[in-house]
Amino acid sequence: MISLKGNLRMYLEFSRKSFQRAAAYRFEAWMRVLSNVIFLFMWGFIWYGLYQGKESVSGVTFQTVFSYILISQMLQGLHSAGTPLWDIQEKVRTGDIVSEMIRPYDYPFRLLFADFGSIAFYFITAILPLYSVIFILLKLVIPASPGQWLLFLFSALLGYLIRYCLELTFGLFTFWLVETGGVEDIFYFAISLFSGAMIPLWFFPGWLNTLARFLPFQGIFFVPNSIFVGQLSGKEILPALGVQFLWLVISFLILRFVWSRAANKIIVQGG
Amino acid sequence: MMQSFLKAVHIYWYMVEASIRAQMQYRYAFVMNIVGWMMHYTGMGITIWVLLYSFQTLEGWVFWELIFLFALSVLSWSISIIFFFHFRTLDQYIVKGTFDRFLVRPIHPFFHFMAMKFDIGAIGQLLFSILAFILAYSKLSLHWSFWKWTVFSGALLGGALIQGGIMVLISAIAFWTTRSERVFWVIMFPLRNLINYPLSIFPRAIQMVITFILPFAFVNYLPSLLLLNKTDSIFPPFWGSLSLLVGIIFFWLSLQVWLKGVNKYNSTGS
Repeated sequence: MISLKGNLRMYLEFSRKSFQRAAAYRFEAWMRVLSNVIFLFMWGFIWYGLYQGKESVSGVTFQTVFSYILISQMLQGLHSAGTPLWDIQEKVRTGDIVSEMIRPYDYPFRLLFADFGSIAFYFITAILPLYSVIFILLKLVIPASPGQWLLFLFSALLGYLIRYCLELTFGLFTFWLVETGGVEDIFYFAISLFSGAMIPLWFFPGWLNTLARFLPFQGIFFVPNSIFVGQLSGKEILPALGVQFLWLVISFLILRFVWSRAANKIIVQGG
Repeated sequence: MMQSFLKAVHIYWYMVEASIRAQMQYRYAFVMNIVGWMMHYTGMGITIWVLLYSFQTLEGWVFWELIFLFALSVLSWSISIIFFFHFRTLDQYIVKGTFDRFLVRPIHPFFHFMAMKFDIGAIGQLLFSILAFILAYSKLSLHWSFWKWTVFSGALLGGALIQGGIMVLISAIAFWTTRSERVFWVIMFPLRNLINYPLSIFPRAIQMVITFILPFAFVNYLPSLLLLNKTDSIFPPFWGSLSLLVGIIFFWLSLQVWLKGVNKYNSTGS
């Protein structure tokens, strides 16, 4: 079922090509950075406003939350450099997806490696310099030890893969539902709220926090961000990573299942 | 002059009818679109609720006041997108050269382009914002005088004109640079998110830009100060009653830029 076909080099070639492609379409990258910075700015001031006249809320200081928001925006910036959902949906609607299916590679893997390429370009040219400057200038909370850095990077990678699997699975639903309007908005809302992308789960009402802990989305941003700012540390890290890994396995299996069903169910519009 | 204007209005409504019929052909997509927008905005409302749960206030604004602010911006936005939402796609017409047809018909190009779509999908936003407004109005125990209802109506019309004006202005960029859709999403999406929060949390420079250059402050923040009896350290509350005036001026200016753009397009000849 899972066919890496022992051919990692071929997939890496897709990464290389999409890296070059990203370099050719720089205007897109600048627009994305602009958007990312505006949102960073907005959330920074919202949290600053919320903390007016308060030292710490739920045992968390403003500095910690601000670092959390920064690293969160950075990761979201990287996620946004991948293939957008509508691109996949459009491929299914127009039938172009067929040309991906008849080729000797596995589409979900090809897409993942292609995304790695464009993300690498975006990371090196925009995200890394921008956020390094912000973190150094504002003297914010960063991981204190190489071990914490490694754990953060590993957790962020798991988070990326979870989001990738979920989003691609959702994109493939287009095979069955030509119009995904309302469902799509619920999906995006769930990702944006429950992943802790903008509001850390610490501030959620108790019952909502419990609910969020049982959903796969918290593994996307909340866990890596919490490790980064040191709110998740020591013995608590391992179980959190374990849960992330478990969700990755589950969402990967769902993706494979949906993909194999989709491959058997080609209804091309007008064909 | 008057007669040709009336004729243009007549043709405009005729085309609107056709546009509505066209959109109703895809019933399922039409309904899903409405449901989608309602979900989208409900999600944003829930996000504000979660945000305020541990903190209670944001610069003195409580949850229902924020919802009021939010509802007011979505309400005027939904009016403006009925007429102007498709302006962002002007670049496609210019790139493909299909804009020519708007120039050769016996109706003014602006009216013609405006009549291209009468976006009834805006019902989703409209329903959401009316509901949110009613809830906020009753939760805040507001009892408005006739004067306040006048201010409110002015804010709606003015807000629709300001946001419509910005859409017209952004689309006009396409006449010079052949890009408008990307610019639209990069400017409008963050800005519309920004005005869901009290302007006073942002630095002075941003407040000035949002008040005097792209006058989003008149869409919801300034009218809300007046309507909710709140105060601001910079802006006197009566500014909230100027929305309609600002809207008319801003829309007129945007329209002039657009018309200049049309003349520019004429001369490219490609």
